Amino acid sequence: MSALDLSTLGAGFSDAALGSQSVFRTAQHALSHPGRVVALAHDAQTPSRGHPASAALLLALLDPDCTLWLSPSLAGSDAAAWLRFHTGCVLVDKHEAAQFAWVAQGDECPRLDSFAQGSDAYPDQSTTCVVDVAGLAEGGAGAWTLRGPGIRDSESVAVEGLPRTGATPFAAQWSANHAAFPRGVDMFLAAPGQIVGLPRTTRIEQEA
Amino acid sequence: MFHAFDTEPPGRPLDRAQWMATLARAPLELLEPALGAHAQGTPQWLRAPETGLVMVQGRAGGSGERFNLGEVTVTRCALRLSEAGSAVGVAYVMGRSHRHAQLAAVADALLQDPERQPALDAQLLAPVRRHLQQLRARRQASAQSSKVEFFTVAREAGDAEGEDDSE
Repeated sequence: MSALDLSTLGAGFSDAALGSQSVFRTAQHALSHPGRVVALAHDAQTPSRGHPASAALLLALLDPDCTLWLSPSLAGSDAAAWLRFHTGCVLVDKHEAAQFAWVAQGDECPRLDSFAQGSDAYPDQSTTCVVDVAGLAEGGAGAWTLRGPGIRDSESVAVEGLPRTGATPFAAQWSANHAAFPRGVDMFLAAPGQIVGLPRTTRIEQEA
Repeated sequence: MFHAFDTEPPGRPLDRAQWMATLARAPLELLEPALGAHAQGTPQWLRAPETGLVMVQGRAGGSGERFNLGEVTVTRCALRLSEAGSAVGVAYVMGRSHRHAQLAAVADALLQDPERQPALDAQLLAPVRRHLQQLRARRQASAQSSKVEFFTVAREAGDAEGEDDSE
């Protein structure tokens, strides 16, 4: 284990148990209502790189048994040290081997099918991706229409500034991810203060 | 329990690992008065005191295979003093005393400031070292009282075997 530079490190939740429970509740809410924009309240001093919402979300979800992959601009930043210190998670170089992945805004997101997909027997062993985007809004121009479990008819969410995902557009990769059910990755899209849950069961029906 | 760095290294500058080890074994009665006002302030917690178990490993004779000796209760914390700039104090202390961990971390944060170091060394570290030395002396004395002197008596009649070998 390399020595961490603690001098610039921020604090975690002021109450570790209650803080992470409340963020976990928000994450559950986001995943059970896919596409709904959920405000994520927390009191952690999040690192300078990466969105505060995704940092707090990972702070609540990670523990020393978890492996985390960080996109290049996060890997060298204070975000890596912050998560290592507060959660004890293991940072990995290969995103294929990670249980969690955090992609900063502006970094390229690896192809979704290159993340751990889980197996038919253990679909829970797939990667959970946290992807920072510029903004999230319900409805509006260029919005996605989402259908699937947890959505009564359809949900509409506009995502601004989605990271590049290689040659194939995101929608095509997502439909392949959905088709691989029960395997496939789950995703959180995060704006600075809000998150949207995108579990593998959700279909993105139209992208304008 | 006792380490080489319980005694002050003459002429060498203070080393952080060294003072952290000393602070971890300092009794609370010495920590509280030496830190004065700093002991009363509310620090900014990076990691509030938490108690857990650490597996202690040993080697038989100091050089054998490593084996798990057992688990010890350890309390750790990390904090930043509200007024002392950016120095972060860290403490790992045996036992369950959150207060001890907090004070050791406060002292660690203060000792990282080169200006405060000499004063704190004299006020805090020196008495603690003296205390640990006394503790060790007392322990040695009580062990000494039960010391048994072993001696062997050379055998008078030489063995046939031994003499055959020499010839």
